[in-house]
Amino acid sequence: MSESENADESRWAIANVFASFNNTLITVTDITGAETLIKSSGGAVVKQNRDEASPYAAMQMAEGVAEQLKAQGIEGVHVRIRGPGGNAQKSPGPGAQPTIRALARAGIEIGRIEDVTPIPHDGTRAPKKNRL
Amino acid sequence: MSERSVSRQRQGKRWYTVLAPEQFDRAELGDTMAEEPEQVVGRTVETTLGEITGDQGQDNVKLTFKITDVGSDAAYTEFIQHELTRDYLRSMVRRGASKIDLHITVRTTDDYRVRVSPVAFTTKKADRSQEQAIRQIMIDLVEQAAEERSFSELIDSVVEGRLSSAIYGEAKTVYPLRRVEVQKLSLEARPEEIAAEEEAAVDVDDDDVAVDE
Repeated sequence: MSESENADESRWAIANVFASFNNTLITVTDITGAETLIKSSGGAVVKQNRDEASPYAAMQMAEGVAEQLKAQGIEGVHVRIRGPGGNAQKSPGPGAQPTIRALARAGIEIGRIEDVTPIPHDGTRAPKKNRL
Repeated sequence: MSERSVSRQRQGKRWYTVLAPEQFDRAELGDTMAEEPEQVVGRTVETTLGEITGDQGQDNVKLTFKITDVGSDAAYTEFIQHELTRDYLRSMVRRGASKIDLHITVRTTDDYRVRVSPVAFTTKKADRSQEQAIRQIMIDLVEQAAEERSFSELIDSVVEGRLSSAIYGEAKTVYPLRRVEVQKLSLEARPEEIAAEEEAAVDVDDDDVAVDE
């Protein structure tokens, strides 16, 4: 009911993309981040575990997400991209870029793109391989 | 399968339009969805200054608003935070130059407690004494600004960059500066909370303090 009257409105959402070396998670929420609209992860589109983080999987996921977003009357998304952070890699993994590109190609408008990787302001000691 | 369960949840939820405080001309910030109006209260919305003013050049300032009140299909917010984006701040940092920053908590005339964090970037490496002098100027100006202004006026002067240009004007006599910004301003306590704190506060005499022998 309200679904149809909203369809013509321009509604924005936030795409929270978590891209690690082992997986890519896409969660689309409303602008407050409190209500999840859709989520998707690598396992939903590929068979092999090691492919979950692949750019291909990310593209497939983004296409599916974009389709559903349009069905819900979402016109554009702001993107919050994030890598594992903390003591692990501070840069987003291989799934980050293709996600944004695939969303844009699928006709979802892309607003702001922001990196929200958690950076420690000095927390616990990092594993030996990551020290300095 | 998952899509179906999502759409079932969706039924009975309504959208609320989030509006900025009067100070920002009640601009539309976006929409949020909830079953009950009460659920909307307390959510936060982050936008850029550019989005509100329509000015493209101000996209490196993030403003956060918190929903305090809900109408039939609108949610009203209050300002809680002003922050520079991480990428902008990172782009200002240069090798061989100093970054002078400071975090200070001040109280405005209308009893809001606010934390202000100015930063200054110099052209070349500054000496410690110069850094300290600049920091002192920052403290003085921020405290002075807070003493004279109410919460909304203080936000105005920070968001429009008047506070940072005032700091720039004074501090450039100490050492050549490239840029001065307020990297963060956040609301710490509202007048009611401060009043409650003062109510609860007790004066402690020296003899009241128990010292373990």
